[in-house]
Amino acid sequence: MLHVLSSEFYKLRKSKISLLIFVSPIFAALFGFFETDSSKIVHGSQWMYKYMVMAAGHGLLFLPLLTGIFSAFICRYEHADGGWKQLLALPVSRSQVYIAKLISVMMLLALTQVLVLVSLLVIGWIKGVPGDFPWAFVLRSLFNGWLASAPLAALQLAVSVSWASFAAPLAVNVIFVIPNILVINSKYAPFYPWAQPVLSMFGNEKEAFGGAINISLFSLIVVVIGSFVAFFAAGLIYFQRKSM
Amino acid sequence: MWGVFSSDLLKIKRKLILFLIVLGPLGVIGLEAVNFGLRYDYLTKIYASDLWSGLLNNVQQLSVVVMLLGVAIITSLMATIEHQTNAWKQVLALPISRTEVYTAKFLFNGLLLFASCILLAFGSVILGIVLGFGTDIPYTGLLKITVFPFLAALPFLAVQIWLAVTFKNQSIALTFGIVYALFSSYTRNAPDWLPLKWPLMMNSFSVITGVVTGLIVLTITLVDFAKRDVN
Repeated sequence: MLHVLSSEFYKLRKSKISLLIFVSPIFAALFGFFETDSSKIVHGSQWMYKYMVMAAGHGLLFLPLLTGIFSAFICRYEHADGGWKQLLALPVSRSQVYIAKLISVMMLLALTQVLVLVSLLVIGWIKGVPGDFPWAFVLRSLFNGWLASAPLAALQLAVSVSWASFAAPLAVNVIFVIPNILVINSKYAPFYPWAQPVLSMFGNEKEAFGGAINISLFSLIVVVIGSFVAFFAAGLIYFQRKSM
Repeated sequence: MWGVFSSDLLKIKRKLILFLIVLGPLGVIGLEAVNFGLRYDYLTKIYASDLWSGLLNNVQQLSVVVMLLGVAIITSLMATIEHQTNAWKQVLALPISRTEVYTAKFLFNGLLLFASCILLAFGSVILGIVLGFGTDIPYTGLLKITVFPFLAALPFLAVQIWLAVTFKNQSIALTFGIVYALFSSYTRNAPDWLPLKWPLMMNSFSVITGVVTGLIVLTITLVDFAKRDVN
């Protein structure tokens, strides 16, 4: 398993994917930098407000779309010039290959989350945001957002291994992510898997911001874990039977 | 030219592209139908003075992002047809000039997007009538939210076609296209010279600068395509 993972790492090392993990953190930084109203306070902290400004676009659109871009990217080498045949002719099982790919996507998403944290710290430092940094809250929120993007990554990987085209899986991704813009303000948000990253990046009921965005732990667990199991199982079963 | 055009049409038969061209406007109208359906009393109270323009505003807020995302995805899907089968060599070996091939691609993609915008206009009218907003349809407003953003987005169409055709690695074109499409919704307060703001502005300035810039970008990329080594 480790060998499969390290082979994924070799394939990614010199590719342009290293640029992709910076895209969303840079945009978060731009939002943070151009948000000039520094007097606004959320939960008694200007840091919390900064986090909200910077993480809103990231959680709502960028993070869900990145699950699709990373998944499509990670299958690109194999789709080009018969890479699947070479990879699967090695003494590794198909499920190992599939899980290694999913782990790689999740690691890239984790790196993106870390960079969002870095960009928050840097922008806060440049802007001279006062007060203690809410480490516990921010770390937990970023980690929650990462976990909530797992079902999306599972679906996108399933679509990406089945279609050789780079754009087709992204079309699927966009079709599900765009409704987020409306879903997020409706009472159906807790049931929509694509809205979970943004919901879980803004704390749970106890720590909800201004009552505008709430999240129920129960539906989070049911929707996130439920859809992850469904998408992952469907993708894995399909991949194991696919003729390459 | 016409030959290239009809060959492009043949290539997208039974492909995802036509489905997406219909799904884009249909999805926007569907989401707005749900939006207005669920919050009918609330929204009709807000827009009580002018129900139609309230509806058109809501449609437009969603449709511009969807259109820009559509530009990136459709152009990439179109270029992938040639990339995947290494067909650029064959297409360019035919007795037609590269200028014709490229211009036909531009016009074809433009036509598909235009069709999509027209569908959006029809969809908005149907939705408005179904919601009981009367038959006093504001045709100017309808034209503004459908055709104006399309014309203002022509520079992006030209850029995306060039990226998708030039770089076989479609992640470049798609990442670029998706990122600025998402960013466009935050440009309402940006200065007027920012091209990303044009599809949202919906006035004569945005249309004229959009078309002119689009033609300039098309010309530059056309010259580049004509010179490029194809393998």
